[in-house]
Amino acid sequence: MKKNKSRISVEFLGRIVENPLVLPAGIMGMTWSGMKFTWENGCGIITSKSLTLEPRKGHPGPVIAEFEGGMLNCMGLCNPGIDNGLAEVNDFKDKYDVPVIVSVFATTIDDFLALTQKVNESKGDFIELNLSCPNVADEFGIPLAASKVQVSKIVKAVKKISKKPVIAKLSPNVIGLTDICLAAEAAGADALCLINTLGPGMLIDIDMKRSVLSNRTGGLSGPCVKPVALRAVYEAYSQVKIPIIGTGGVSNGSDAIEMLMAGATLIGVGSAVYEGGIGIFDQINKEILAYLDKYNYKTIGDIPRLEKLK
Amino acid sequence: MSKRVTLPIAQIVKENETIRTFYFEHDLGAGAGQFVMLSDLETGEKPFSISECTDERFGLTIKKLGTFTQNLFSKKVGDLMTFRGPYGSSFNLIDGKALIVGGGYATPPLYFLSKELLRAGADIILVNGARQKEDLIFCERFSDMALNYKRITDAGCLGRAGSSVDIASELLAENIYDMVYVSGPELMMKAMREVLQQYPELNYEFLFERYMKCGIGICGNCTMDPLGIRLCVEGPVLARDKVEQLTEFGEYHRNAAGVKEFFKI
Repeated sequence: MKKNKSRISVEFLGRIVENPLVLPAGIMGMTWSGMKFTWENGCGIITSKSLTLEPRKGHPGPVIAEFEGGMLNCMGLCNPGIDNGLAEVNDFKDKYDVPVIVSVFATTIDDFLALTQKVNESKGDFIELNLSCPNVADEFGIPLAASKVQVSKIVKAVKKISKKPVIAKLSPNVIGLTDICLAAEAAGADALCLINTLGPGMLIDIDMKRSVLSNRTGGLSGPCVKPVALRAVYEAYSQVKIPIIGTGGVSNGSDAIEMLMAGATLIGVGSAVYEGGIGIFDQINKEILAYLDKYNYKTIGDIPRLEKLK
Repeated sequence: MSKRVTLPIAQIVKENETIRTFYFEHDLGAGAGQFVMLSDLETGEKPFSISECTDERFGLTIKKLGTFTQNLFSKKVGDLMTFRGPYGSSFNLIDGKALIVGGGYATPPLYFLSKELLRAGADIILVNGARQKEDLIFCERFSDMALNYKRITDAGCLGRAGSSVDIASELLAENIYDMVYVSGPELMMKAMREVLQQYPELNYEFLFERYMKCGIGICGNCTMDPLGIRLCVEGPVLARDKVEQLTEFGEYHRNAAGVKEFFKI
């Protein structure tokens, strides 16, 4: 099954994607049918949960805390492990010709390589290195994405053996993000995914006098992070030549167009699935089409990017 | 956005040795079949079906199973709990003839449903089945209601031996209903789906259970194959057109890590 090329289809690393919307890692991508349901509702590319070598149950609840501007989450990389996770990806790919990004998480080069070998044998289209989960610092230390040396080493090692294009998912919670993006590009990354969740942050229940999240802190997402995501994407876009998946706080068509203008090739839509429902993907695609009409643009490629920073 | 609310426990009712109903004074505004995510901010957060809900208060009927519920059972009236919700879909109410089929510890949300149905003007027959007498919960509450109440246990300690599915099959053979509502253990519900296949015109709704983590439709843990619908948003109440298509129903579910676990038959 395949949907047709349209005014909003996009070319990404040699593949035509039916629309620019990406389901980011961690949202919905746990089961093959969840991937299908998301695609049926208008998402162009599906990213799996970040898969680890062994299954992980993640943190105990509460793993979600909502507040006015968005939400915190400390899922804790719950996933069925690389073998089960790739079985879900393959089950989906057997039935639907929709591009899938397989997200993987590890803390050492050896583990990243072991994961890459498994992804090589899968039907996934791309591999994304999650170098930036903010919710497992107690277990694994500071995210690798904080160091351009680490990012460079891992990307280089994975690139050497990967049969799939490599996407580096980076963290906004660093000093000198653009330098880290440049390091990933120089190491051979085919694309970047910016940004993972912000913070981490915390919320307190003043009656129970405890932090709301079980893990005390969690990554910040939702509308409140959009300005940071736009800035990160724009600064990276000004420097790197590889495509960027811009994700962070996109909840409507106007946000998506801002992300394109900042320089993103594809747009992640994650937390908005909560407020907007699963119909958010179709809704955003419709709003992008309406924007094309408003300015007489033929295709999404006609939407101008901002002039790059000098 | 449905905000988190922290409230003292207003009342605790012992249903049997391992089951208690915890009441909170709050206008939850829930529909029958919906659930809340309840937490003590110490040992976790779990989804619970709502067994009672009025403008003034709501009740959650909970079985003592693991660390979270053990901690909950040590709490007293006045101790604080926090919850978010109500979440998910609810039963569609009718004003005609309703057959309600409950099994074991999945029966309490059917009490909330029965109250709502009576208010809507429905004519109800309710079948409540369990392994043994002690597991038949809410008997007194159901007996006091204006509905035709039938109970049955595997061992037959209340007169007749068998399951709620047995009684439901007999009732379906003899009567015409406008709607059948089912909440029970997965394999009991699967048996019920098979019975209902003989009545292709009949509307029915099932209340499902799957491992839920976020409760708000983003983590993907509770999606059901092959539809991919999320039990916490499109469910936990699913109508016939969906239930008939579910291939994992009665076969397997996914655990907290998302690994498939098959039901033991």
